[in-house]
Amino acid sequence: MNAINKNFRLVIANLGPLILLYYLSISEIDTEFSNMFEILSFNIQIIIIYYWMLRDASIIGSGHVFLAGIINDVVTGLPLGLSAISYLTVSLVANYIKNVTVNFSLFTDWFTFLIAIFFSNVVFLTLMLNFSNFTVIYSDIFYNAFFTFLFFPFFWFIFNLYKNLMRIRNDD
Amino acid sequence: MSSGRDDFTIAIRSALLQRGARQKFSLLFLFCFSLIIFFLDIYKVTGIKTLRNIINDGVYRISNLATSPFRLLENTSVGTKKLIFIYQENIKLRKELEELQNKDLQVEFLQNQNKNLKKTLETDTSTERNSIIARVLLDKSSPYLKSIIVNRGSSSGILKGMPVLDGSYLVGKIVEVNYLSSRVLLLNDLNSRIPVTFGTDATQAILTGTGTKKPKLEYLPEQFVALEGQKVFTSGKDGIFLPGIPVGLTENNFDETVIKLYSDPNQLSFVNIEIIKSQEEVF
Repeated sequence: MNAINKNFRLVIANLGPLILLYYLSISEIDTEFSNMFEILSFNIQIIIIYYWMLRDASIIGSGHVFLAGIINDVVTGLPLGLSAISYLTVSLVANYIKNVTVNFSLFTDWFTFLIAIFFSNVVFLTLMLNFSNFTVIYSDIFYNAFFTFLFFPFFWFIFNLYKNLMRIRNDD
Repeated sequence: MSSGRDDFTIAIRSALLQRGARQKFSLLFLFCFSLIIFFLDIYKVTGIKTLRNIINDGVYRISNLATSPFRLLENTSVGTKKLIFIYQENIKLRKELEELQNKDLQVEFLQNQNKNLKKTLETDTSTERNSIIARVLLDKSSPYLKSIIVNRGSSSGILKGMPVLDGSYLVGKIVEVNYLSSRVLLLNDLNSRIPVTFGTDATQAILTGTGTKKPKLEYLPEQFVALEGQKVFTSGKDGIFLPGIPVGLTENNFDETVIKLYSDPNQLSFVNIEIIKSQEEVF
């Protein structure tokens, strides 16, 4: 019985980041705080995808990343597949960095995250501006990317803490 | 140099094609699949629209359900705040009611006069107006689109372009219709354009969303400086919106005229959708 309980807790703990990713995509809880501070908005989904793809890709599979992107498109009213491509670009950069890097630290993660944000936004904007009728404010996109980059260390510590807790549970 | 390029190719190939413990699909496959979906949606391929409508309806309902605990908390907090200021609000409302009752008589007189004048001109077009109340399911903000989702769709007779009001104030228009839900493009969205009129000279302009809380007025007459605090109404020049729907008040912001909207687009719970069927009146 104890073993079953432990396994159940482990499964739930492993599902945590995935549940958070889906929840942020599907719920109206947003990370745009224009009511408090006009330019403050950031994208936690990208941070979640990048961190977990880099650290433990088995926690968040690419299929889930794709699905979360599709859901996000539906909720925010963007052309279907646009966020999915953007999220998959982040996954691709994370996978690439994982393949070429041996040691991970906050600073290497933070620096390489900039590359992920850059490519993700390039792909997003290229598709959006060339194939859809949406008009965008470049400064808004820039602030969003900037704050996403700026808040990365904060979420890095939280996720690291969570990862360590999961490891402790695993070792029990 | 060649070895460095080989390493890069190997790392990229591995990143694209690798499938691990829970990776059932390779990134390359998912990229291609996403692109196909994207282009099918962009070019409105037959069948995709219906599929998207079904997905939209489903996701909006789940999303509404997922957000309900947070919405409950928010409503409780807003409700408590309202309760604290209810006495002062009551006094203010009584005064406003008195003023409005006086104005109502004037409006009735002007309406009758207007109707008679239109009859004289024989150019009257009557419009069958009917509005339905819709609940806001979602109001997720995004840097790309300022919109809300409401729980009324084509099953309730909603069509693209219909005006959406908060009480009697304009907040946006319908831009996407599903069977059970619709998306409303808010006035402050960058893609929003509404013909409006204001002032005693009935100055015409286009209300353009700026992505911020205050949309601006464009295509004003040359060298025109708007007075502050003038009431802005829809002009109905587009033939879609009815004329005379209140929008907001003018404000001068450096060299442009912006509008302080009567209704805060971030605080919507219920809205009215105007179902308009225009028809020529026969005399």
